[in-house]
Order: sequence, then C-alpha cells, then structure tokens
Amino acid sequence: MTTATSSPARRRSDWFKENRNRFTTLAILVFLLLAAMSGVERDDWFSTIMQGLSVGAITFLVASGLSLIFGLMDVLNLAHGELFMLGAYVGWTVYTRFDTVVDILVPLLILSAPFTLLPLWRRLAAAIGSTPLGRRWAGLGLLAAGATTTFVSVTRFPLVIWDPGNFAMSPSNFSVQIDLGTLAPLPPDTFGWPAVIAILATLLGGSLLALGFNVLRSQIDERTVVTRKHLLGFGVLIVTAIVLLAVKEPLNEWVFGLSTTWRFFLAMVVSVAVGSAAGALIEVALIRPLYDRPIYQLMMTLGVGFILIELVREVWGRPEFTMSRPAAFNGTGPGCPGEGLGGFFSGCSTLEAFGSRLRVYNEGFVILAGIVVLIGVTLLLKRTRIGMIIRAGVQDPEMVEALGINVRRVFTMVFALGSGLAAFGGVLAAPSIGLGTGMGAVFLLSAIVALAIGGLTSFPGAAAGAVLVGLLQQIIIRYGQSGINLPFLDEPFKPSPTLVPAAAILLMIVVLLVLPAGLFGRSER
Amino acid sequence: MSLLRLDEVHTFIGQYHILEGVSLDVPAGDIVALLGRNGAGKTTTLKTILGLTPARKGTVQLDGQDITLRRSFDIANMGIGYVPEHRAIFADLSVEENLRIAERNKGDLAEREELIFGLFPDLKRLIRLPGTNLSGGQQQMLAVARALVPDNRLLLIDEPSEGLAPVIIEQMMEAITRLSEHSTVLLVEQNFIVAGRLAQHYVIIEEGKSVKAGSMADLVDDDETIKRYLGAA
Repeated sequence: MTTATSSPARRRSDWFKENRNRFTTLAILVFLLLAAMSGVERDDWFSTIMQGLSVGAITFLVASGLSLIFGLMDVLNLAHGELFMLGAYVGWTVYTRFDTVVDILVPLLILSAPFTLLPLWRRLAAAIGSTPLGRRWAGLGLLAAGATTTFVSVTRFPLVIWDPGNFAMSPSNFSVQIDLGTLAPLPPDTFGWPAVIAILATLLGGSLLALGFNVLRSQIDERTVVTRKHLLGFGVLIVTAIVLLAVKEPLNEWVFGLSTTWRFFLAMVVSVAVGSAAGALIEVALIRPLYDRPIYQLMMTLGVGFILIELVREVWGRPEFTMSRPAAFNGTGPGCPGEGLGGFFSGCSTLEAFGSRLRVYNEGFVILAGIVVLIGVTLLLKRTRIGMIIRAGVQDPEMVEALGINVRRVFTMVFALGSGLAAFGGVLAAPSIGLGTGMGAVFLLSAIVALAIGGLTSFPGAAAGAVLVGLLQQIIIRYGQSGINLPFLDEPFKPSPTLVPAAAILLMIVVLLVLPAGLFGRSER
Repeated sequence: MSLLRLDEVHTFIGQYHILEGVSLDVPAGDIVALLGRNGAGKTTTLKTILGLTPARKGTVQLDGQDITLRRSFDIANMGIGYVPEHRAIFADLSVEENLRIAERNKGDLAEREELIFGLFPDLKRLIRLPGTNLSGGQQQMLAVARALVPDNRLLLIDEPSEGLAPVIIEQMMEAITRLSEHSTVLLVEQNFIVAGRLAQHYVIIEEGKSVKAGSMADLVDDDETIKRYLGAA
C-alpha cells in the first residue's frame, strides 16, 4: 500500500537513497577516468575513448549472451568465447571462400532434412523395445550406425577448401588476395560416389541419427502425426540442397564478383545463423540433460570450448591470419582521411575528428553495431512477449512453465540468441583484431569481468560493465606508451601490456567490494 | 463425475519419497480442500498434478485422460491454473505483464478483464506498477488473478490466506467463492476456518498418504478427526 499512496517526489528521493552506493561508485569511476585522462595529451584522449568503446562494444556482444544465458538458465557457458571465435572463422570463410561454404552447405542441408520429420521418429522410437536398458543400447547403436553412415557419405560430396600447409592455398594468402581484389573461385571438385547414392546415403545417416536421439529420449510425447508442415520443411531443405548443387558455379562467380561490403554483410548474416544453430545444438544435445547437475554443466561447456578450439585448428590451421576490411571502410587516396564525424560515411578507412585520427571500421562501425544490438535486445526484452517470458523466467522458470509456456523451448531460443550475438561479435572483431584460436578466451575473460561489474544477470549491467572494461584496457595500453606520473617515483610508471587483463580484474574487485551485487545487479534471493 | 482423479500417486524429490500413495477425487464444479499438517505433502500433491514434480508411480487423470507423464506446460494448457504458495508473482514484470504472460490466446485478458477487475478492483489501479512494489495482499490477488486470465477448468490454489490480514482474507474468500462459479477448485489451506467455509469436500493427507476424505459438512462436526489429523479443535 505504501508505494501506491506515497508522492512521486518522495519516491524519487527514496530511489536516490537506495541507489546511493551505486551513484558514488559511478562518480568515483568517472573521476578516476578524468584524472587518468588529464595525463594524456589532448589529441589522444578522443581516440583512446573511441578505441575503448570499440573494444567495449565487442566485449558487450560476448557479455550480453553470457548474461542472458546465465540469468535464465543458471548456466555459465564457458564455451561462449569459442562461439565468438567460431563466428569470426565462419565469417572469414563466407567473406573469403564462399565456394567452400556452398560445398559444405549442401550435405549439411540433406543431413538435417530427416530431423524435420520428428513425429515419424517419435512413433518409430515408441515401437522399439520397452526395457530402459534395451532402449538405451538400441539408441546408442542407432547413433553409432548413423554417425558412421553420415561420415562415409558426407565425405563423398565435392569439397574445395583451403590448405593451411600450402602457402598458395593458405587462409592468410586468400586474405591478401581478397584485399588486392584478385581472389577467384577455386576449380570445382566432383562427387566421390554417384551423386544420387551419396545423397540417399546421407539421408539414411540423418534418419538413423534422428531415430537414435528419439529412442534415447525418455519423455512421452503424444504428437506423432506427420503434418503438411513437417513435410514442407523436409521438402524445402532437400530442394534447396539440390538447387544449390545445380547452380553452384554461376552462384560462386556471382558472389566473388560482389563488392566486399556485400560479402561482409553476407558473412555477418551467415555467422549469426551458424552461431545460433551451434548454440541451439549445444543446448539441446549437451546442456539439457544436465540441468540437475550444474557442476557437470560447467565442465561440459569448458570441454565444448576446447573441442571447438581443436576443431578450428584442424580446419583453419594453427597460424593466425587477418581478414581485410570491407570496401566501404577501406578507402584511401584523394579526399581521405574524412573530415569530422561526417567522415564515417566518406568511404575512407580513417577520419580526423577532435584532433585525433580514427579508423572508420574499428571506432565507427563496430561501436554503431554494438549500440544497435543493445537497443535491439532491450526492445526485445521490454516490448515483446518472448522478452516478457525471458524476464519472468530469469526469476522463476517453474512458474512460467506452470502457466503453459514451453520453457525448455525458450531456453533453447535464448541459448541460440546468446550464441548468435557472440558469433556476431566474432565476425565484427575479425577485421580489426584478426583471427586466432586464442581470441575467444581473451574476450570471455573480459566478458565475465564485465558481467561481474554490471551485476551478473542484468542486461544493461552487461553493457555498462563491457564499456568500463573496454575503456580501462585501452587507457592502460595508452599509458604503456606515455607513462603515468605517480608520486614517490622518479620516472613515469609505464604499465606493461600484461597489466591489461589484470587491471580489468582489479576494477572488478574494487566494484564488488563496494557493491557486492554489481552496478545494476539485485542482491541474490 | 470427477474432473480430476489421483490414484495411488507416489512422488520422489531427489531420493526423498514425498508422496507415498495419494488418491483423491475432485468433482467438477466443486471446491475441494486439501488438509494436513505442515510437510504432509499438500504442495507436492499440487505440483505432481501439474507435472512439476512428476509422479513415479500411480496415475493422474484429468477428465478421464491420463496426464501422469505429460510435460507441465502441456498439462497447464489442458486448462489448469496454478496459484503457488508464497505468491510467486514475477517481481520484474508490471501488474499488466504479470497478467498478460498468462494469456494462452491473444485477447484472453481483454475477455476476462471484467471478471478479474470486478474481483480485485485494486489491481486495475496498480496496473503499471512493477510486481515488486505490491503489498503482500496485492501480490496474492495478482497471483489469483493471473490464474483466471486463461479459460481454466481447474484451479490449484496453494495457501491463499497465508500471512494475510483478516480483511484481505475475507476479500480473498469471496473471490474464491465467486471464481468457483466458473471453475473447479482444489485448495490447499492451513486455516481450517477458511477451508471449512469455502469447500464442499475435504481430503486429509498425512505423511504423504491420503488418509481420509468426505464432505466438509461432516468434518466440521467431527472433532476427533480434526484433533487427530489437523492438531486443532
């Protein structure tokens, strides 16, 4: 009753009182930032802040998904950094070697087609044995047979791909070629078996896998009727695969003729799609069976991360390589660098503003993309039904389920969304920081620190924490060059680059000492 | 004819055997009170009906259909509303969102707005406030209102009077009487006076077993049973 009767002014003063610690902490952080800035030359501070925001934006893309997943499902996804890395590598592949993407997509579409006929597999699964042990062995046997068939048949599909061991065919060489504009599709490969047999065998492999998974499921589901919708999904996948096979060569020529800006756009779309799909798959197949066992879950995501790193090493090779910036952010020559903030649209690679030189891609586009995602996800959470369900589920998933909402499906969707955001961060980061298998771990650490600072499950907290961590890291790097004049020291103190992650953790410790729940967090129930 | 029927239901939570044989019948259109001491298994019975803690043995039937192994959201969508104990409303959601999230079809809330705000006029006034700002009584009203948004044939209400002021309890009792005109109610209630005035039937649970059932009118005069199972006269 109190809240309803108290005056708005009173409520506001209460609110200030309740948040006093929060404001004090923020004020001190801003003061420290300004004090730190005063030691840097004026020309530098704008570019340092923008670089900090850029790193913050990418950290935010990792932290946001981590926060959503942790908030709703209490899963700390330690593979999140590797999903970020995967996004970067997949993005590079679409951007640089579209022909390889088509070759991989065809068998993948055919393999996933049987999974659309879920009710059929449920019905067949129900008919297989009734003792739990029998079903278990039958399920595992089916999975093994399916995996073998799939492996044998899928490797018979044509595949043109880079070769990290051969310089002319290595990813780094292709990156140079795309920058020079000399990149062309590789000569197409052929089927190892007659095409029809390879396709049918892949369908068989997919069917065995789908059946195996359903035999292993214990819950009874009444929906065992294949409807037109299921058949339509099956048909669309098969037809898409066959059409892709037929038009592969002209399609590759066309894509390789597109400007790199369009190809980068395509890379972002595919990366997000692959990241989301990988996330959904990880949740359904690996995390879901372990919701009762949080420690196992933690170990599972850690293991998935290592597997993803090894997978990337195997496919793309160990050496790090770069990804060229898309044409719209890579212009040079007359009229460059662009003048003022309007220079963002000049097509130049750099611009001059406030006496600093900025890179249009890093300090412009990346920050803009981060802001767009922040606004988009905030609107999703605040304005849509699914967002409402997520906010409710963060507090009490059991009650949400009791209202008739399939919470498990919401879990999968949120996992896919979070993984998609991480992958988006990866593809955005690739042109500015390059590709390497260590990139995931670096940003995962930053993201976890950002979450702790922002208040683990708070979405705006993830954004604020990420920006703080990004700014701090860039300022430290800046001081590594110019030095800080500390009292009692004869020479300026120059923090070494190894202090960058340490500084972020120090910031986290300071914030948590004052605000144990983080800047925006609510104290635990 | 009975809307809900539990037959020898056994439920485990982890390794703990919580329900060791609960059988009960809820006739369509009536209010049935589930009575028993603290820890007897009343709340677990409600959760087992909804599949939140699924039964390991025995069957749960809704309108003659076996729902024992179905998933919770599926069971709820067959027309069961749940008002959990401790008023589990969503603190981060506004009152309106707390109601809207319970919609099973678009327009459910608009359709039953009159009924809901007729029963709880306070909620209309507070519609924009976040759930966390409501008082205990208001939260309880919201929790009941939320179960009324979709067209539910059965309501499972857990301890609606717990921790409420007497005036609010009166209001809550009137609301439950009025809403029982629309749906069948299975009510868990510690306050025997409240249960006695609301329900037509009772089921007593003791140590995870249903031990006695019958008409509420008989129980009110049966001092011995009350003393033995409920520990109050």
